[in-house]
This record gives sequence, structure tokens and C-alpha cells, in this order.
Amino acid sequence: MHISRREFIRRLAVISFATALAGKLLAFLGCSLVEKGELTPSTLKPSPEAVPLAPPAAIPALPLPTAPTPPSVVASPDTYLAVVRGNNPSDMVETAIKALGGIERFVKPGDDVIIKPNICVAYHSYEYAATTNPEVVGTIVKLCVGAGARRVRVMDQPFGGTPEQAYVRSGIDAAVKSAGGTMEVMSRVKFRDTPIPDGKDITRWQVYGDVLEADVLIDVPIAKHHSLARLTLGMKNLMGVILNRGQFHSNLGQRIADLTSLLKPDLTIVDGVRILMNHGPSGGDLNDVKLANTIIASRDIVAADAYAATLFGLTGEDIPAIRAGAQMGLGTADLKSVKIEELVV
Amino acid sequence: MKRLKKWYWRRRTVQILALVLFFYLLLGTSQGNTMFLPQDLFFRLDPLAGSAAMVASRSFIVPMLLGMAVLLLAVATGRSWCGWLCPLGTALDWTPSRRQRDSDVPKASQLRRVKEVFFLIILIAAAFGSLTLIILDPITLLVRSASSVVLPVLSLFVTSAETWLYQFSFIQPVVGWFDGLVRNTLITDNSFYLPNLTVAAIFIGVLALNAIRSRFWCRYLCPLGGLLGLLSKMTRLKHQVDHGACISCRRCARICPTGAIEAEKQFHANPTECITCLDCVDVCPKNAVSFRWKSGLPELQRYEPSRRQLLASLGTAVIVAPLLHFTAGVDRKESLLVRPPGSSEKLLTSRCIRCGLCLKVCPTGGLQPSQSTTVWENLWTPALVSRVGHCDYSCNACGQICPTGAIPDLTLAEKRRTVMGLASIDEKRCIPFAEGRDCIVCEEMCPVPGKAIVLEKKTFVNSEGKKTSVLLPRVRPHSCIGCGICEHYCPVRGESAIRVFPSAHSLNGGGGQRRRGQST
Repeated sequence: MHISRREFIRRLAVISFATALAGKLLAFLGCSLVEKGELTPSTLKPSPEAVPLAPPAAIPALPLPTAPTPPSVVASPDTYLAVVRGNNPSDMVETAIKALGGIERFVKPGDDVIIKPNICVAYHSYEYAATTNPEVVGTIVKLCVGAGARRVRVMDQPFGGTPEQAYVRSGIDAAVKSAGGTMEVMSRVKFRDTPIPDGKDITRWQVYGDVLEADVLIDVPIAKHHSLARLTLGMKNLMGVILNRGQFHSNLGQRIADLTSLLKPDLTIVDGVRILMNHGPSGGDLNDVKLANTIIASRDIVAADAYAATLFGLTGEDIPAIRAGAQMGLGTADLKSVKIEELVV
Repeated sequence: MKRLKKWYWRRRTVQILALVLFFYLLLGTSQGNTMFLPQDLFFRLDPLAGSAAMVASRSFIVPMLLGMAVLLLAVATGRSWCGWLCPLGTALDWTPSRRQRDSDVPKASQLRRVKEVFFLIILIAAAFGSLTLIILDPITLLVRSASSVVLPVLSLFVTSAETWLYQFSFIQPVVGWFDGLVRNTLITDNSFYLPNLTVAAIFIGVLALNAIRSRFWCRYLCPLGGLLGLLSKMTRLKHQVDHGACISCRRCARICPTGAIEAEKQFHANPTECITCLDCVDVCPKNAVSFRWKSGLPELQRYEPSRRQLLASLGTAVIVAPLLHFTAGVDRKESLLVRPPGSSEKLLTSRCIRCGLCLKVCPTGGLQPSQSTTVWENLWTPALVSRVGHCDYSCNACGQICPTGAIPDLTLAEKRRTVMGLASIDEKRCIPFAEGRDCIVCEEMCPVPGKAIVLEKKTFVNSEGKKTSVLLPRVRPHSCIGCGICEHYCPVRGESAIRVFPSAHSLNGGGGQRRRGQST
């Protein structure tokens, strides 16, 4: 390649001028260097992103009786309602179910089991008492798997956050998977228009098909404050399996009872380990959380809810859904009339 | 004897790999999804979007400096990006186009300068602070159309098909399995937002132009093609015709997808138009066509576009940029649009390249391309349409994915404190106010710890003369962050009875920080 001297000088001049101009231009554009700086390989970060928890300072706890109940007293087949107190949610759940006659009473080998906890939001970890305690859910899954269930599925429809995110942040995903169950995302496709034959206020609603077809439905709510229902307990927790929940809020108490009449869960286990005293159902303030260290279990959803209400200093009569449910004969809210076993582990 | 089309298959393979990578990254753009490559890789490679955003924002956006690699590619090999890597180019290659007949073997015409003029107008308008014309960038066009049109429509069809098939019990397990596979990757529950038909129109228009000429967009309109074409004048990879072997059969001119081969110039390929697809090499019956590397410094060619065209572009940009600021008498600050958390009209004007990644990543489908009739300069920048989807309290994905920082990358804790607007209740329609019935859905849904909506019990005598009470919602302005979940779930039919509007707080540079416990 050969260029003349004149050509060389000409090219050199052009390149120098261009460089100088570029430098001037850069200076004019200003130097807010590295505004969007990170050259990280992935732009999206894993979620749930950890939101630091404030240390749970002085959450009031109910006083525990000093001596645990001896195991020989626990297995009592007539127990209508089991109330277990303690510090270990796993042991508490196992004791409660044993008191009702054991998991074999509810789950037969080959059964298709659906467990419905409360995973309503993906906002906070379980310490904030917005979602069911993962240890509680995990223990129930373990027991069902041990009883020979064909499959054990855990599901809910969060209104805040995606299901995948809510499942992970609540800790329930990890607990269920290690216990041998599966998490299911409730697909829009599987909801169908379902008649509610005993319904007083509503006679049909869109309900998740698989829940209607499962062999066993176990309702595992967490006891929380709710502005309209006053408390959200076992019966209200069933709202997770329907669509159009916004429209459901008229005459809410009766409608909750109507829905319960359709679904009739086989077993209700109320998570009262931590309870949300105010600003439910999503919570977010540790000052609203109270350590009640209680698990309530029963075949009778109305009775379980009625007992859970006492954790808040209320009775079944104070809760519209419980009143409606008792009236419809779905269970009894009269705690004096049934055999309650109060245990400590 | 048909010669083996070796370049055809090599190029097709590379095109397919690039397109597959493009779609893989696009479908992987969802909340919390970490991948081995950044999901905005194609935008980082896009020198037009990068330079426009940097000029308009007067800053260096470091990840987008990767665009220089594509510029160097053009200097070295011509418009090979267009022919081998560009996903829109690949899509246009596969879109049916009009076959070129011998009689209309195309020539380079003045119309081809349009794409270079578009490029200049984009840069000059960016220098004046307006980025609206970047909607003509091919990568933003593709991703934006996919996010706001193609994928939602696909979701609609697939979900409808699944719902119908789910009726038949024997096929249920298959449907369930398929749904689990595609939901939240390919399809979502988010519905198609009707105003996005304008986005669809542009996209379909670009594809439909292929009916006039193959790769019409690439020939005449693509501003990125214009930029790369200008650099291609210096290309080291030269198209050469062995004139001794050439029999003027015109096959190369007919097969050229961008009509770069000029028959009257001995079938020489114009480097500004040639996308180095190498189809001419394959098709020549006499092997007269080849591409050879030429060494040495780039030659300084006759300057194009001409000075007249440069001045015309400058003039157009000077007129266009202020026009886009046109606000129809409404003060620009009084925008009624709720913007993504931490963003603001100012940030969007200077940085948003309308890429559509935030639209794709938003888990509720609340972010939509804005089409405010009062402020055109922010056309198709993201706005939160709460009725369609609220801003989720556990999500900060839009800020993470935004390639230019138009939406700042906030941590989740910061984002939860960032104010996007203020909710306001229409008491004429809100059920407790208007009908005396309890509702409370807005308060129930409010994610703010301590609630930004309180309920006040009011006793009154109803129409039947009975003394009754109702819970009336009231917004606490100092707690509300404007996420819109209340507006989204309000059961009132039609327009929601509680709506989020931008507040003074949110308009001032995007996001103040609330102090917890501050009373109304």
C-alpha cells in the first residue's frame, strides 16, 4: 500500500481534527459517568429480594403452662376439637392430629390430597403473620405423605405478588418440597362455574375444579384481623379457591358460609402460632403480630373458627361468618357443648 | 448442476441462532429471573438506541457502550448486522415478499437516503432532548411490539384454547401439563390492552411493507440501517465481480434482498445497501461474484448524505423536537399519567428508548405504553394503568431491567417507600358512600403496613327506616404510595371508584420518602 506524503498529512489532519472534536463533544455532553453502571451479567435479581426484618422486639406471648401434657393422655379418639400449645409448631401439629384420631382418619392410601394454607401475599416472610406458618404446612404434608396419599398438593391464589414468589417468600415452598409434596399454581383455566345448592345468598360461583374433585381437602388458615369479616379464619380462608373475590364482599359473612357449605373441608387446622392483631390481611408491621403459640384442629370448621376467635378476645357470636355457618348447620359455635382437648407440648 | 448454497445455510444458521437467542432473552425477561446473559443484551448492542439515549440524557450509559462493537462490525464488514444478526431483519427475510422480476431490477434511489435522514433526525432531536423518534429503532420496535401486542394476543388465544379443551376430562392432564409449561414464560394472565393497537399497527405495517419490496424497511426506513450503512462506506469486505466471467444474467441483482446490486454499474453492490447476505455469491452461475478483504486504511469517499440533506435533517429535527413538546395548552407538569416507581416525566423524556422491556417484565401487566394526547414527547413511555394491573408491593423488576436508567434501579425497600401517586375516592360511586353497603376491598388490598386507607364507621337510618352502620373508606395521603392495587380490585363496574392520580410528591423528581407513623 502506498500513499503520497500529501495524502498522509491530509489523513493525519482529518483524524486529529476528528479526535479533538470528539473530545469537545464529550465535554459538552457533560460527564455523568456511570449513571447506569453495573456490568453485571444479569440485570434481573433473584426474587424474593430479602427485605431485612426488624428484630421482633418484645412481641407479647401468651403464658404457657409449665408442664407438658404426658403423651399417654394425647391419643383420645373422641376429641372434637384439639387445642395444642407449645414452642415447636411441628410437634404441636402432630399432637393435634393425633388427638383427633390420627391422620389415618382423614387420609387413606391412594388419596388425592389438597392442602389450602393462607398464602395471600408475597410481601413479607412468615414472621409477619400474613401467611400460614411453613412448619405447620410442612408437617401436615409429611403426615399425609406418610399416610400413603397418592399426591399432596398445596396451593393458594395470592392477591399480592405472583404465586411463585408468594410460595417462596412465605417459606411454604421449601417446607412442602422437603416434606414430599408439590406446590401448584392455580391456573385460570381450571376454574369453573359451580352451583352451590345449599347457598342462601349465592347459588353459583367460579370455583377451582381440582378442589372439588380432590379426595381430601385440608384447610390451614392463619388467624388474622380483617376489617369486614372481623377475623379471617378457616371459613374465610376458603375464599382462596374462587374467582371474582372483589364481588364476593357483599353480605360477606353469609357468602363465606355458603362457600363453606360447598367445599366442606375434611380437616381444619388453624395456625395460631403467630396471629395478626391488626391491619390484616396483609399486615407488614411486627407491632401487630402476637405470639399465641397455639394450634387448633377439628373436623368442624365452625368450632375451630369459634375457638380461634378467643385468641383475639372475641367469641363466635362476634364473627358474622361463624354465626351464619352455625345457623346453616355446618358446625357448632357453642364451645361448651363439645369435647375440647387442651394440650401442651 | 446446482451449486451447494453454502453461504445461504451458514447465514441462515447464524440468523436462526441470533433469533433464538433474542427470543430466549425476551421470554426470560420476567421478574426475578436471573439468566447467564443480561436480558437487555440486544439493546446494549444497539448503537442507535445507546447513542440516542446517551445524547439525550447527557450521560454515559456504560452497559450500552457495547454498541461500539456493532459499529466496529459495520466498519469492518459492512451491514452484516442487518444480514446476519438483526432479529427484525431475520423476521423480514421470512415474511413473504414480492419477487423481483427482471424488468424491475431495483436501483439505488434517492428514497434510500430516507433511512440516513431518519438516523440524523433521531440524533439531533435527542440532542434537543427528545427521544420520541427512537420508536423507529428496529430492536425497540420488535421488543415493544412483542411485549404489548404479540405476547398478550398469543396468551389470549392459548388461554381460550386451553379453557375450551379443559372441558374434556380425558385431555385434562395434558392441558394442565402444557399450561404449567408455558404459563409465566410464554403466556401470562395479563390481557391485551386495546390502545396498543397503534403499536400493533406500526409493527404490522413494517411487515406488510415487504409486499412492496423485500426488506422494504431495511432498504428505505430503518435508521439503524442508515447508521450502519454510513459506516459501511469504509468497509474492508469488498463485493467484487469478475467482469471477464460475468455474463450479465442478472441473477444476482434479482436475488439481492435489499436491491443493492446496480445492474448499470456492472453489478457492483452499493456498500451502504449491501447487507452481506452473500446470496449473490451462491447464485452466480459463473462464480464471478466474491467478497474479499481489502487491507489498508479506509478510503474517504464522497460524502453522503449531501450537505443539503444534512441541513434538511437538521432543520426537520429543529422543528420536530419542539413540536413534540406540544402540550395542547396543558402545562406539562400536570400530566395525568402515573409513572413507574422512581421515574418521572423528565427521566423518561431524556432516557426512555421505548424498548418495552419494562412492559414485559411487569408481573401484573400494569405498565403500558402511554398515549397521552397532551404530551407527545413521551409517546409510548411506560405508564401505570392501575385498572389493568397494579404496581405490586413485592416487585422492583422494572427498575432492574431498564437498560438506560429511565426507571431507576431501586431496592425493594426503597421502592416500597417511593410515591407514585395518590389514591382518591369518588364518593358518588363508591359502594359504601353511594349505597350504604359495606365493601372495604380497597382497605383490604392496601399493602402498606399500617394501611393507607382507614375505615370509619358511620351510623345512619337506611331507606327502610332501620338504624344501620356502614364502613366508609378514607385515604391517608401521607401513607399512600399510589400503587393502584385499590383501583385494580375495586368491585365497582366500569371505572373504579378509587383512582390513583399523580401527586405533587410523585411529580417532583419521582418519589419522596414517607416517614412511617406520620399521621394524616
